Amino acid sequence: MVLISMIIIGVFVLLLGAFILKDVLVAKRAKVKTVHYTVRGTVGAYLMLLPALALLCIFVLLPIVYSLGYAFTDYYLLRPDEVQFIGFGNFADIFEDIAARGNVYNAIMNTLKFVVFVVPLQIGMALGLALLVNQTIRGMGVYKVLYFAPVVISLTVTSFLWVRILGGGETGLLNSFLAQLGISPVSFLYDPQGAMYWIIFVSAWQGCGYQMLIFLSGLKGIDKTLYEAAELDGAGKGKQFLAVTLPGLRSVLTFVIVTVFIGACKIMVQPMLMTGDQSFTITLNYLMYIEGYTYRWVGYSSAIALMMTVVIGAITCVQRYLLREDD
Amino acid sequence: MKKAKKVFQVTAAAALAMVMSVSLFGCSGDNNEPAVDEDGNTIVQVMVHVAQQSAEGMAYNRITDSFNASDTAKENKIRVRVKYSPRSNSATGYETELIAMMNQGTLPDIITFDAPNTWSYASSGILEDITDLISQETQNDFFEISKNTYEGKLYGLPIQESSAGIYYNKKIFREAGLLNRVENMTADNAWTIAEFESICAELKDDCELPIDLQLYMANDETATYLLYPFILAQGGSFLSEDGMTATGYLDSAATIAAFQKIRNWADSGYTSYDASDVGFYTGQYAMYLSSGWSIPEIRNQYTQQLGEDWGILPYPKGTRAASATGSWSFGMTTQCASREETAIVLEWLVSTDSSVSITDATGMIPARKSAIEQKNYTAGSPEYLLYDQLNKTGTVRPGTIAYPEFSSAFRGIVNGLRNDSNASSIVSTQTTTLQNNLDRYER
Repeated sequence: MVLISMIIIGVFVLLLGAFILKDVLVAKRAKVKTVHYTVRGTVGAYLMLLPALALLCIFVLLPIVYSLGYAFTDYYLLRPDEVQFIGFGNFADIFEDIAARGNVYNAIMNTLKFVVFVVPLQIGMALGLALLVNQTIRGMGVYKVLYFAPVVISLTVTSFLWVRILGGGETGLLNSFLAQLGISPVSFLYDPQGAMYWIIFVSAWQGCGYQMLIFLSGLKGIDKTLYEAAELDGAGKGKQFLAVTLPGLRSVLTFVIVTVFIGACKIMVQPMLMTGDQSFTITLNYLMYIEGYTYRWVGYSSAIALMMTVVIGAITCVQRYLLREDD
Repeated sequence: MKKAKKVFQVTAAAALAMVMSVSLFGCSGDNNEPAVDEDGNTIVQVMVHVAQQSAEGMAYNRITDSFNASDTAKENKIRVRVKYSPRSNSATGYETELIAMMNQGTLPDIITFDAPNTWSYASSGILEDITDLISQETQNDFFEISKNTYEGKLYGLPIQESSAGIYYNKKIFREAGLLNRVENMTADNAWTIAEFESICAELKDDCELPIDLQLYMANDETATYLLYPFILAQGGSFLSEDGMTATGYLDSAATIAAFQKIRNWADSGYTSYDASDVGFYTGQYAMYLSSGWSIPEIRNQYTQQLGEDWGILPYPKGTRAASATGSWSFGMTTQCASREETAIVLEWLVSTDSSVSITDATGMIPARKSAIEQKNYTAGSPEYLLYDQLNKTGTVRPGTIAYPEFSSAFRGIVNGLRNDSNASSIVSTQTTTLQNNLDRYER
């Protein structure tokens, strides 16, 4: 373990050294000596970067490389000294599980369902709220705070709050209201058809405040005269939104879509706390946790992580290509 | 001036880099306290799974304090230090910490662990074989069923035992005219599954819910622990003796039929997945399946609602009788620095007096015969029934190195029955998944 870590760090240091050397040579050969293009300046700059690079290497690069390597092993958490290389064994198990409609299949389908619904819902809610709080109305600051409040509350707290609201039997807040109306209690969080939609709603509600702020800053940056010109051309509010607001928010929208999509793919806390390990709400990240920590199969869990990274990376690239600027 | 600025920049960057590097290496330091203190006492570290402020945590504090003040500690020059690492519901957090410590080589000398983990911890070298380190006298004083053994060797001794039973509200039973049918029940003359069902049917109109089986606890070990005796009592099985085969056991006809009963009881209104976890305590439900830990809860918090008008009934029997067992135990780790001193501490932690002290705090029953004698439970008391039942019908959860996977499959079936009335298909799916998981260990 230590040896492998040293090798990875060694490779990283060698690469870094090569970059430094290249820059130093370029600096040496530079005809015009500016403050930034001297040997001392270059070395100084890299020394400044060193703490951040060291942290990046130890806490980001090392775990990624390890996880990549573990995906091809039978690493069992309780036997860290007996790790064997098993090639694509874990990936074969994953595909077998998918074919048998097991846990991985359920996790993929649930994650897909979550992403497909939560991305447009959360972005739509965020954009709607941003347009709303962008109005110059007295007391709008209070609304901004209220809409943003769920973002600063921990996911654990909001999840438990919604468990209390949606709880089964008459102990749940919503069910106790329904009972007053003579309606029988509903198992909101244990209904295989509906539970995921509640998680989607709670997640969108919890997260949209953050994207609202991003959209709001984008809206503030749109030139007011464009709206005036559109109005003079006879464009109504809807047309102004489509012709001025949306194009003005294009780069912000791209950023929001990509970040919400990646965040959605990593969903874990809400299903874990709201329903527990259920076939109809288990997600890929939650499954990775169960396989890696509860069942202790780090190798298998890493293979799921690698597969997930590749898929998310590919979709993100497609998204970026589709939403690219035409400049 | 410019040169001085550059020198300053480079020096500052180098200093910053050095500080960061030092702090980074500082993070990875060894947390193990020295094995010997300044007075020359050997330090024995104990890690427990509860919070220091909890009743159980305070009991550990008392027994370790009493050890440190004892002649045994002075004569052997030993000092005990306790690390409290409260577990979450599923105990995963506590185990994660244990595994991290194992990988760093900083495991404490003694740890607490849940009984079903004995096989995996022993086979993977976390726990030390203590067969020859603990006196025969001590070993013989424990109930055979309570000892943590793997391949015939002893790896741990229980802090307490945790028999479960069916709590019942005597007032509701009296009003329903059913009290005389149950009040003299003991582990020897336990009711049958048919009698249990008949009483549930008769109680339906006399209370909000005849029995809370805690089906809503199917997200953690509680459901497995409380419900497995129902399956075994009806002739069901879980795994082969070596703990590596589920096919043919978990999906046997008797097991499927036993699981089907749970769904049927919910359909008949005898129990509910949406029951309130305080329904029994507040007098709304007639019965409640729970462990001994509910005894202090009732006595400390719900005397107003239940008074003394409650009792515990044994698990109903089918083709055989079975009841829940298995609690947390103390074990010595393989990274233990001083085995002889640690064995002395371990004996103290599981001694008769310690057993009594801890079970007084938790409401559970001791796993030592001498502690049971000291407790002197009155026949007919809730504690006596739990002890008697443990002795006569206690059956351990299946032994397997893949216990988390087994428990997950069991809970998956209980969870699945909430929405699917066909136990056969759920059991079949879970058995396939479990068997696939078990096969991974054979590669």
